[in-house]
Amino acid sequence: MTIFHFFNCAILTFGPHAVYYSATPLSEYDTIGTSIKAAVVYLVTALVKLVCLATFLKVSESDSFDPYQELLKALIGFVDVAGLYFALTRLTHRNISQNHKFQAVGLGWAFADSVLHRLAPLWVGARGLEFTWDYIFQGLEANANLVLSISLAALGSLMWLRKNKPKTLIPIIYACAGIVATMPSITSYLKLGLGWHLPKVVGFELFTSLVMAFISWQLFSACQRPSN
Amino acid sequence: MAKSQSSALVEPVYSSLIALLILVTACVELCDAVTVVDVYRLVQYDLAGVPFGSRLAALNHHAASSLFSSSAAAGAAADLSRTVLILPVRDLNLTFIREYIEEKKPLGGLLLLLPQVFNPQNIDSKDEAGHDSSVGIIKELLLELERLLVHGNIPYPVYFGFEDDHVNAVLADVKKNDVTGQLATATTGGYKLVVTTPEPKKIVSPTIANIQGWLPGLRADEDSNQLPTIAIVASYDTFGAAPALSVGSDSNGSGVVALLEIARLFSILYSNPKTRGRYNLLFALTSGGPYNYNGTQKWLRSLDQRLRETIDYAICLNSIGSISDELWIHVSKPPDNVYIKQIFEGFSSVSEELGLKIGLKHKKINISNPRVAWEHEQFSRLRVTAATLSELSVAPEFLESTGGLSDSRNSVDEVSISRSVKLVAESLARHIYGQEGKNINIFADDSSLSVNPSYIRSWLQFLSTTPRVAPFLSRNDPLITALKKELEDHTAEVRVQHEVLDGMFTFYDSTSSRLHIYQVASVTFDLLLLLVLGSYLITLFSFLVITTRGLDDLISLFRRPTSRKVKTT
Repeated sequence: MTIFHFFNCAILTFGPHAVYYSATPLSEYDTIGTSIKAAVVYLVTALVKLVCLATFLKVSESDSFDPYQELLKALIGFVDVAGLYFALTRLTHRNISQNHKFQAVGLGWAFADSVLHRLAPLWVGARGLEFTWDYIFQGLEANANLVLSISLAALGSLMWLRKNKPKTLIPIIYACAGIVATMPSITSYLKLGLGWHLPKVVGFELFTSLVMAFISWQLFSACQRPSN
Repeated sequence: MAKSQSSALVEPVYSSLIALLILVTACVELCDAVTVVDVYRLVQYDLAGVPFGSRLAALNHHAASSLFSSSAAAGAAADLSRTVLILPVRDLNLTFIREYIEEKKPLGGLLLLLPQVFNPQNIDSKDEAGHDSSVGIIKELLLELERLLVHGNIPYPVYFGFEDDHVNAVLADVKKNDVTGQLATATTGGYKLVVTTPEPKKIVSPTIANIQGWLPGLRADEDSNQLPTIAIVASYDTFGAAPALSVGSDSNGSGVVALLEIARLFSILYSNPKTRGRYNLLFALTSGGPYNYNGTQKWLRSLDQRLRETIDYAICLNSIGSISDELWIHVSKPPDNVYIKQIFEGFSSVSEELGLKIGLKHKKINISNPRVAWEHEQFSRLRVTAATLSELSVAPEFLESTGGLSDSRNSVDEVSISRSVKLVAESLARHIYGQEGKNINIFADDSSLSVNPSYIRSWLQFLSTTPRVAPFLSRNDPLITALKKELEDHTAEVRVQHEVLDGMFTFYDSTSSRLHIYQVASVTFDLLLLLVLGSYLITLFSFLVITTRGLDDLISLFRRPTSRKVKTT
């Protein structure tokens, strides 16, 4: 019975990635290599981030929200952006269109994140006898994270790969990218600083991820128009 | 075709949305973690090979709150065989339980919740004077329940726990479930109670320890062994339905405390040669009391024959701590025996001064009957005059009044013990110093020889928090060491005698463990969740296909296999 619950939570956590890959043209162009490369880059980035966090961050005794520490954490969070930049621009990909490249990178990125951060707690926790909603929320969080990663990858590809984009849109793109990149810090602030409960935080994450996805989609199509 | 496809797709969207809404709203109530509480198992023992008590220890079943909930009454008695009943003793229906145990109906397990008043670890909350009457009723109930459980053979685990906020919350939830629907099983969710312990093992050759100490009297010239001896004896071990809760404050913690205080008082007198009496005083703390005073018998047998013959008489202290003005002297020799007369007269003259009533009860012993109801009967069997001082007016039945569940700290009054101590000490002292009938107060309240209430209180506190079922005490148990050390402080030649408890009894271990209460989701919930997730993923898939490749692609995805089938047929 509890294996069943684990199975359910695993579907919720990792299912959307698989569905995204198989439903979109990504599977037709066989971009799995790109996704794997992105995942490897994510792992390296996570390692660098860990080293940075361990070097620069004090171990806080309490669970309270310390603005200075959180600022530092947010800055270190931008290592992610650097990793994404590397994955998008420096890696040699098979000849796939930019359109698919950012999706593949975002997908690999989000999947690696899910595996790294959610698989172990899921395996340990969801198989226990006690029922909690935590793992279902964690799965929903993974969904939000997938959407955010793809949005960030889309904005990144707009920033770094597309040359002839409308001048008026550039500040908006940068602002959106900034917001998406600081999402982890924002949610951590909501959790610790404002003391929001998990369902509320997850709801917020889902909502913002959808909004950001919509905005980046609009931006992307707006940038595409003049070139067509 | 396309239209029907899209309408079929809309439905899962709604259902998943609704499910999500339910998830979020239900979350607040359900997000609590594992509860862990201490529970104490019903005693498990064999008496001459016949099994008694709870025969199992491991527990892993769903919880229910009543024996006869609406669905069980419909005749589905077998349902309960995988259910743990949680029953608060406060409103326990004894006739149902009795019927259940005597008819040996199947049950997954039984968890009996005792009020906190009876928790030995929770001694500070003892004075709730307002609850006195209800506590009295619960005590009666507990006595009955204990009799039932101890003498029954129960094929499922029976645990005792204490009411606290967590357990009460769980119980309230379980009750709510029971009222609304059927009993909780794997398909309806609810709470699961888990105790993981290995199978109870036999305790190999349980030992009992008797502790004795001497206060030698003042000998003129001859050997001190020629001086007459007065023995003061109390049995210190207990037996109760839950061995880990069997602290026996009254039976016989009060007797032990009184004995220690009497030893302390006389040690002051005997430390000065001028006030040392012409009697030896022998103090003995015996074990095995619940088992026909097995320890007393062994201890007496091991005493030197000559020494035993010097004993004028022995006074056994048994259950002298409750709030009552009546005490009884139980004897098995006829009341016109010279020592008995002397004891009784000595006691009654002092008791009048203390405002106590003393009665004499004579009960002949039957040598052929293995049951020994009073400690003095073991002395009488060896022709040593002895009497038991007790508040009980009739001899208790086997394994009763030996420190059961209800015999906690709040059933004992320090003042009563002080008064009993004074009674025994004063009458003994008057006898020893030949002051009988005279109205002098050797242990007057303000003198240096007064009874020390704080000493009594601290020892009572210690004994009321220490379970003392002899088979579960190791050879060097802290309790035995503490009693030995205390006697050493006041008396000489302290000796601990370890004996093997007679082979009639076999005890089993694992007397206490931890109960984990899990809130579990039902299988139907998991199925529903799977359904919701499946429809979510299908919706996501269709949405992504439509937005990235167009609706036709999606339709062709579904159409292709069917067209192939047509071809093959």
